[in-house]
Amino acid sequence: MALVDYQRDMEMCCRCSACKFIPIERVTGYQHAYVCPSVSRYNFHAYAGGGRMGFGIALLEKRLEYTDKLREVVYNCQMCGACDISCKYAMDMEVLEPMYEMRMGCVDNGFTVPVLDSLVASLRKQGPMVLGGKARRGDWCQSLEVKDYTQQKAKVIYHVGCRTVHDKAMWKVAKATVSLLQKAGVDVGIARSSEPCCGGRAYHMGYRQDAISQAKHNMNIFKKSGAELLVTGCAECYHTFKVLYDKFGLKSDIEVLHTTEYFARLIEEGKLKPKQPVKATVTYHDPCHLGRLGEPYIHWKGKELPGHMRLFDPPKTFRRGTYGIYAPPRNVLKSIPGLKLVEMDRVKEYAWCCGAGGGVKETNPDFAIWTAQERLEEARSTGAGAIVTACPGCEQNFTNALKQDGDSLKVFDIVELLEKTI
Amino acid sequence: MVTKEKLAKIVGTGNVSNAPAALEAYARDMSFVNAVKPEYVVKVRNTSDVEKLVSLARETLTPLVPVSSGPPHFRGDTVPSTGGAVIVDLSGMKRLIRVDRANRVAMFEPGVTFGELIPAVAKAGLRLNMPLQPRKTKSVVTSMLEREPVIMPKYHWDIADPMASTEIVFGTGDLFRTGAAAGSGTIEEQWKAGGAQKEGAGPSASSWYRVIQGSQGTMGIVTWASARCELIPKLEEPFLAGSPQLERLLDAVHWLIRLRLANECFVLNSANLAALFTRKWPDEYYSLKDRLPPWILFFNIAGYNYLPEERVSGQVKDMKDVAQRAGVEPLQSIGGVSAFDVLEAVRRPSDEPYWKLRSRGGCQDIFFLTIYDRLTELINVMHVEADKAGYPASDIGVYLQPIAQGTSCHCEFNLFYDPENPVEVSRIRGLSTGSIDALMAKGAFFSRPYGESTGIIMNRDAATVSALKKVKGMLDPFNVMNPGKLCF
Amino acid sequence: MALKRDQYTAFEDVLGPASISEDPVILDSYAWRSCQMAGLDKFMPRFEAVVLPQNTGEVQSIVRLCNKFKLQFKASSTSWGVYCDPTGPGVIKIDLKRMNRIIEINERNMYAVVEPYVVSAQLQAELMKRGLNCNVNGAGGVTSALVIAAHEGIGHMSQHASYGERNQLALEWVTPDGEIVSLGSLGSLGEWFCGDGPGPSLRGIIRGNVVPLGGLGVYTKAATKLYHWPGPPVFPVEGVSPRYIPSQILPGFMARFLCFPSEDKRGEAVKKIGESEIGFVLMGFNTGMIAANMATSNEEEMGYWEKFKKWETGPSFFLIIAGNSPGDFDYKKRVLQQILRETDGKSLKEMEDPEVEGGFLWRCIRITASIRETCRANGVFGGEVFGTDAYSIQSNFIQDSIEAKAKLIKKGLVHADSTIPFVTSLEHGHFGHSEVLLRYRPSAETMEGIWEFVDRANQAAIKGHFGLPHHVFSDPVHDLFGPHISNYHVWLRKIKKTFDPNGASESSNYISAK
Repeated sequence: MALVDYQRDMEMCCRCSACKFIPIERVTGYQHAYVCPSVSRYNFHAYAGGGRMGFGIALLEKRLEYTDKLREVVYNCQMCGACDISCKYAMDMEVLEPMYEMRMGCVDNGFTVPVLDSLVASLRKQGPMVLGGKARRGDWCQSLEVKDYTQQKAKVIYHVGCRTVHDKAMWKVAKATVSLLQKAGVDVGIARSSEPCCGGRAYHMGYRQDAISQAKHNMNIFKKSGAELLVTGCAECYHTFKVLYDKFGLKSDIEVLHTTEYFARLIEEGKLKPKQPVKATVTYHDPCHLGRLGEPYIHWKGKELPGHMRLFDPPKTFRRGTYGIYAPPRNVLKSIPGLKLVEMDRVKEYAWCCGAGGGVKETNPDFAIWTAQERLEEARSTGAGAIVTACPGCEQNFTNALKQDGDSLKVFDIVELLEKTI
Repeated sequence: MVTKEKLAKIVGTGNVSNAPAALEAYARDMSFVNAVKPEYVVKVRNTSDVEKLVSLARETLTPLVPVSSGPPHFRGDTVPSTGGAVIVDLSGMKRLIRVDRANRVAMFEPGVTFGELIPAVAKAGLRLNMPLQPRKTKSVVTSMLEREPVIMPKYHWDIADPMASTEIVFGTGDLFRTGAAAGSGTIEEQWKAGGAQKEGAGPSASSWYRVIQGSQGTMGIVTWASARCELIPKLEEPFLAGSPQLERLLDAVHWLIRLRLANECFVLNSANLAALFTRKWPDEYYSLKDRLPPWILFFNIAGYNYLPEERVSGQVKDMKDVAQRAGVEPLQSIGGVSAFDVLEAVRRPSDEPYWKLRSRGGCQDIFFLTIYDRLTELINVMHVEADKAGYPASDIGVYLQPIAQGTSCHCEFNLFYDPENPVEVSRIRGLSTGSIDALMAKGAFFSRPYGESTGIIMNRDAATVSALKKVKGMLDPFNVMNPGKLCF
Repeated sequence: MALKRDQYTAFEDVLGPASISEDPVILDSYAWRSCQMAGLDKFMPRFEAVVLPQNTGEVQSIVRLCNKFKLQFKASSTSWGVYCDPTGPGVIKIDLKRMNRIIEINERNMYAVVEPYVVSAQLQAELMKRGLNCNVNGAGGVTSALVIAAHEGIGHMSQHASYGERNQLALEWVTPDGEIVSLGSLGSLGEWFCGDGPGPSLRGIIRGNVVPLGGLGVYTKAATKLYHWPGPPVFPVEGVSPRYIPSQILPGFMARFLCFPSEDKRGEAVKKIGESEIGFVLMGFNTGMIAANMATSNEEEMGYWEKFKKWETGPSFFLIIAGNSPGDFDYKKRVLQQILRETDGKSLKEMEDPEVEGGFLWRCIRITASIRETCRANGVFGGEVFGTDAYSIQSNFIQDSIEAKAKLIKKGLVHADSTIPFVTSLEHGHFGHSEVLLRYRPSAETMEGIWEFVDRANQAAIKGHFGLPHHVFSDPVHDLFGPHISNYHVWLRKIKKTFDPNGASESSNYISAK
């Protein structure tokens, strides 16, 4: 696909501004009504989903060319997909897809961001797609007794992800995950130092071919392993394996689950039994790539029918965030004795982004922190003592933002709390 | 220069007068504005007369002072501010043009008084949302133009209500129809199309009826207007609730209006309720006043065509919940005054003499808009000012009328006095202007400034004055329409 | 034409560098055409710059600079309407997004004061926590809550909560030449409860039953009347977008879609519902609009429409009744039953399914489905918007559109949905209002047909004495209607000329001074 393939979608934009707000049925007050970090931070319409459709059309109409300013606007966005979901409450059109295409266009036209180029260069060498990761890939599991699925058969692959393996502070989550899986009797394997990057972030940053190449590379590894299930605790990796690989036509028989989905299943099956009370009031942050963007990819090939009502042959089902992963993480939290879950105003398909995604953490760290601070303020307003998430990217960004705030609010991955109870 | 002949040519010889008595009748009123004798009094018969008159006034730069209501006048707005003026007496324009039951609207000329309009619309099952006991001679059109508060706040959706469309001759001489009446076509053609001249707003991105309301005849002369009407209920149950604590009554008022439980709804102090119901002065007045609690809320619950008994009984139940929460007790009568008598009285204009004049022969009103939370303090301010002026605070009549569905409240102090007593006149005159600053300082908005205090009020808002002068320049570039009033 | 550097710097000095842009990427996002009556032109001509003021003082400074530099300005908030477009060279777009504060909610006197970029959903949500509610524009909860922002400000709840012109109280206005005028009690006291006086009301200058559409300065704050909300502080919505459903039908609320054998019967029912004061929402929906409102996609809408159109036997409307107490609710239900018996009205059974009913309740109180009804079909829509006099004239006027729309459908120029006209009533039947909705895919032929359709309605309005439609704006259309309608265009021009001596407030959607 290319930007031009989304021209009709972009031209459907009726300029209603729904893309700036959470679905209007769910607004419960003055506060926390906005959903798009980009337009909330930068205010000009161009930073909203609708504004991006506007200049996207202008690009196709040759009113605009790729420029530094266009690049700046295109990349000051977490690609969190909130605009897409709010728009599709009412509309039959793609919003996030053409935004991806504009990033691809920036890359194709040489309007890249150097820091992102360096990350992709790292990927091309099978290096990490995170900045500043001092730890080496296999360091986190050196003393861990667990299969290496590249060497031994394992039914379940646990994919840790770059954000975790290269950040010592996050190792606890990976170790806890392995421990819990083993306690549940799961035949689990990891790839240790040869774990590949999922490549999803390359796609989010506009490097389509790199993402596809990496996907092909990875699928060979996964298929070769003979595993039946791929589990990851990183929402971005999850989205990549489940959604993007499918989009790339690389879906295999290997089931993809997020750790929260898998642990919820194991708890339901009685294989994990939360016992120890965890006395805490927490609020749950839906990671974008697990929540609204985590619903399955829907393949469609056909044509738009002529006529005054936008219909397709065969009928096209739009991804609207309806089937994202919302219940499993909450079910895990609810299974923990003593734990009280209080919800923020913006949850599930209309959750506010943590701020780290879409390359923003690397290209505009201030914006990433600003976005996280907005979310932390919302978390505090619930009275919770901790914000719990299910993605290392979210956890890291919240933690960094809290360092700046000097706040007592704690940040956890769900797995950390689950480990405490089992 | 305007001459009797020129005027007579327009309205006929019998309708022009410069007889001293006729001129004297318009040279002063019960306000304290300076007496200025007009040159002529002209009785207009129709719109055409008004158009020609305005045209002549422009040519001759003659001030025109429109007057529709009969005497007595109270606010100085019909007394010329400059010499050489012609009084345009519209009281003879008494056509009741249409009563439209289906659309709940009536159209009539400025000479039609409350006493005349009320029975006429009642025949069609309609009634007016009217001020509290207006004087019998009061023009309904003028009352609406003055944004006079009305007693059914539930049906007072907007401060402009019940005024709907109007026909006006602007100071430029142009004839204009406001709101839905603007066109296209004649009024009769609009009726045929299903129109009712019900919408006051417009045409398009302007609402001229709002500009001419409150203008005291300074923008043009209205030759007819239509008024929103309400249905006559099938069943009613009025109540009185008294309390020494005004705040409690205001709480009840808020909820009665918010839940749309009450039709008529207002608060009087004992002095004013006694003034309304006293026939024999002074003994009956003081006896009644003493029997009444300091504050009395009157309200009325009504049922219409569908299941009226069920509606009234349901709303009475809901009302009692409201009253209980507010800590007030609604009763059928208080101090010998029955709620039904009040209801009956406020449905019609005042008997003669006008209720405000019965006790002492004179009355000056100080009135403004405010919000509920400021009322108690503003009443206290007025009492302090009255004390300073040597006027007994307990003699002040107070009328509180929530307006625009409770978004604000008209607060009116009625200062009864003897106009033949120079000491009292001087005291009231001082008080009625001297209290304005103190009241404004505590949140009184004098939205309708009249007479001597106008300058103090208008000077608070230079930007609005500047904008109003621009509007005046559009509609009356030669300043022939009632010059000297407001900021013009 | 680009701004001279000293001009740009002057604006930048007022706003700071982050709140002004003249970059084409930023500008073209605003220049993308509106959905309303959209034709084949995709963009408005490029304008000079966009600015993001944060307060009234900054707006005033921008306006004064525009006057000084002989530039024009055009302010808007959420910018859905075609009249929000910055029209081209020489124009500074004022995006009021940063002016987004709720200034005051006065519960006891039932008014709220907002800046332009508070959207109705935000205000309504805050009000509901206090047992209050506001009229929400028919355009939806995502449009500005500023009572003067919407073209006419009529909404689903106008049956009991009136509309823009009549809900407005005090207002702060930056005039086209850069003065700040505070209407009513605001100017005298700094309080918001009254917009009129002292003396004549300037409310009549700054707007009518429609607004100047950006052509008469900038409205920076306004107070609006509030109404009682008999529901809970938060409406109980469950589910995931786009299929939100209420967890329960709220006690004391009922939604019905009602169909009548004739226009006379519908009119009679509207009148009786108005006079008995039982309506919370009365919306002149036809089955096509109901299908669009309910459906979460075009595919689904087509399915509903196929089903509902068989059922549609005549004119219809959508009604919500809401009780302030159990007794009040029972009373209203019984009255409705009696009225339906008298008028042969029938209720659409599908609507009575609690899940469906609950969904409609919330969508028509929060007003969330306007975009589904208008723009989902093809991203654009058009039609006619008539006036606000009595229901009878609105009903008579719009009958002509049945045949006219049928012709467009027959020619294949617009989407074939219901031709049953939309007529509704406001303030418990005191006023009427009507509209015709056309959904289409822009083409030269379609646009020609649609403009002929509008021309026909305009001629019908003039010749049939039906009053001035609300869809009338801009010089040529005012000039068409004005001579037939008390020469109102002359007076409107006088306002423009008087208050905008330099023609700084871009007024192609209002009227020019000429």
